[in-house]
Amino acid sequence: MLAFENVHKTYRMGETQVDALRGVSLGLLPGRFSVIMGPSGSGKSTLMHLAGSLDVPTSGTVVYRGVDLSELTPRARADFRSSDVGFVFQKYNLVANLTAIENVTLPLLLRNVPTKVAQSRASEALAMVGLEDRMMHRPSKLSGGEQQRVAIARALINHPSMLLADEPTGNLDTTTGERILRLLHGFAEGEKLVLVVTHNPEIADLADCLVVLRDGIVEVEQTREVVLR
Amino acid sequence: MKLNLLRLALKNIRSRRTRSWLTILGVLVGVTAVVALLSIGSGVQQAVLQQFEDIGYDIILITSRGGGIGERSVEGGFMPGAAMGGRFGTPGATERSTTSGTSGTFSPENLGSGTTTEESNEEMTFPFGEMGERPAEATLDTELLLTQVPQLLEAGTLGTQIQPVVAGTTSGFLRVSTPSLDFLEAFPSVLGGFAISDGTTFTTTTENQVVVGARSADLLDIHVGDEIEIDDLPFTVVGILASSGQDDAEEDTEESVLSGQGLTQNLGTGGTDLVVSGLTNTDDSLFVLKERADAVFTAGAGTFVTITRVAPGESITETMDAINVAIGLQDASGAPISIQEVADEIQGTLSLIETVLASIAAVALIVGGVGLMNTMYTAVLERTREIGILKSVGARDGQVMTLFLIDSGLMGLIGGILGLTLGSLLSLFGTRLLGPGLGVGSFSPVLGAGLIAGVLVSSFLLGALSGAWPAWRASRLNPVEALAAE
Repeated sequence: MLAFENVHKTYRMGETQVDALRGVSLGLLPGRFSVIMGPSGSGKSTLMHLAGSLDVPTSGTVVYRGVDLSELTPRARADFRSSDVGFVFQKYNLVANLTAIENVTLPLLLRNVPTKVAQSRASEALAMVGLEDRMMHRPSKLSGGEQQRVAIARALINHPSMLLADEPTGNLDTTTGERILRLLHGFAEGEKLVLVVTHNPEIADLADCLVVLRDGIVEVEQTREVVLR
Repeated sequence: MKLNLLRLALKNIRSRRTRSWLTILGVLVGVTAVVALLSIGSGVQQAVLQQFEDIGYDIILITSRGGGIGERSVEGGFMPGAAMGGRFGTPGATERSTTSGTSGTFSPENLGSGTTTEESNEEMTFPFGEMGERPAEATLDTELLLTQVPQLLEAGTLGTQIQPVVAGTTSGFLRVSTPSLDFLEAFPSVLGGFAISDGTTFTTTTENQVVVGARSADLLDIHVGDEIEIDDLPFTVVGILASSGQDDAEEDTEESVLSGQGLTQNLGTGGTDLVVSGLTNTDDSLFVLKERADAVFTAGAGTFVTITRVAPGESITETMDAINVAIGLQDASGAPISIQEVADEIQGTLSLIETVLASIAAVALIVGGVGLMNTMYTAVLERTREIGILKSVGARDGQVMTLFLIDSGLMGLIGGILGLTLGSLLSLFGTRLLGPGLGVGSFSPVLGAGLIAGVLVSSFLLGALSGAWPAWRASRLNPVEALAAE
């Protein structure tokens, strides 16, 4: 379980202080497709960054599987991201000068997995997202949907227990977006904790757990049963 | 893990080809300069020291000025311009003759006029001073010296003077070396072996015999059996020396040989410069036995050097002290200097020059390093988002730093390898070009394993160090902020 306990996150932008999260407390379970919604500036992305240990809270705790992520050293947080977290971003965030397969092997290479093994696993991951014939293409030669599928393959290559997606369909057409969502939703049917941050209300329909943030505070937290009702 | 990072770094260098090459070029220029200068410098040192080694470190030279070569009148028509028959003559030679009082016999106007030595009977003045009027200072008696200094194994005297020479229709000033018989027997190696390529060596001290250096013979078309005039006296050419091997090292022309160019400056000092240049280059000289020269030359003087060999096991310093005492006892002039001292002095000077040149080259290398740092810093700014991506997929700060360090180190190393190659080629050409100017003949650049390893390691380190600060900055980037970068 991923538990946020009275989490505050404050950014300083020059003289200005921005409270991105103000006392957020919630719990997200594995095997659920969790969706966080809210208007821009509500703190959705900040919450996702804290969940994936890309950042640490100003106060409060973020506990995953009994480990307080805010207490980890930078190196331990990097290792945590490497082994337990897969990120999917709205802008895909692929390395431009690497091919699709090289982008997917990147997390493995950083874990010292031999190149051949990494390439074999990356091929499988790309095949899983339907890109077996686009492996040697650079991101600039791939469509938005293809790039996002490469990003998903990269996010899953280390078999993470937590998949975090920030506006994964934001730059995609409806059909491709639906395909990506189905892909992400499928992972939640296993034991993975899938957390999607979005503006898109249609994604909420798929949610097992819906959290609505406004001004850094949890406004609504509903399970699927409630959502369906 | 480092291997994987290495692959990523290589991939990155390839993907930013133009900038990478420009950065590498900066390092390349610096390394090229360092390699070329160091290898040429070492080559020069080695070549110079080899020359001294050939002469022998057990040799002590005793330099002394004889009567010198002062202004002197020559009767009987020494006419450079006329004698050249239009074949040679430089403005410099003209100036020397005209400014020293030649009475109208040699000027640019009459170059090539066909005047012969027979046709001219005017008096002219030599630029080197009066050779006949100043009494010669006492020179060392080498036989006496050997008894006075028992540490010496052997000794001989070599004189050098500039004499007017007429060979066929060609005339001019030439260096005439006057080795004594015992000198030729004991120290042939000092005169490059004194190997005869044609004819014989001296056969008698009672006849006017001359042995001619290879280049002089070639330029002046002198052959064995020819009669030439030295100091207005007829001499028979009995032998031609084999080339010293410095033919391609020095670009002497007929004019420079005949005018004794280069030697005149050395004569002024009477010091080791003349000794060394005179000993190591036999090609331009004529050789007349000292015993004969003393008897027939009107000047009978010039610059003398007595060469001695120290017996094995004897102290060079103590022997030199004893020589000083002997010089006093013989009431002669001169001062001993050992080949080791000369070699040390020259080596010290060469090392200093090499250090200065290497320091200048190192500045070029540092400039290359600054360029590399600039590139890496820009790369960090440009690759901020990529750094964020790397961190989001689990890269540790240390890995990001290592990646950038390898990146910059690789560019340094590539620059080093290319610079080493180019520097080696340049030094090969450089030694060919510089050899004559440095007077060490043909020599090879010294590119030792130490220099190669040093250049490769230091260029990698230069690259890595130049990239260290940008790499550290990259590693410290906040991943969230890095991912937000455009």
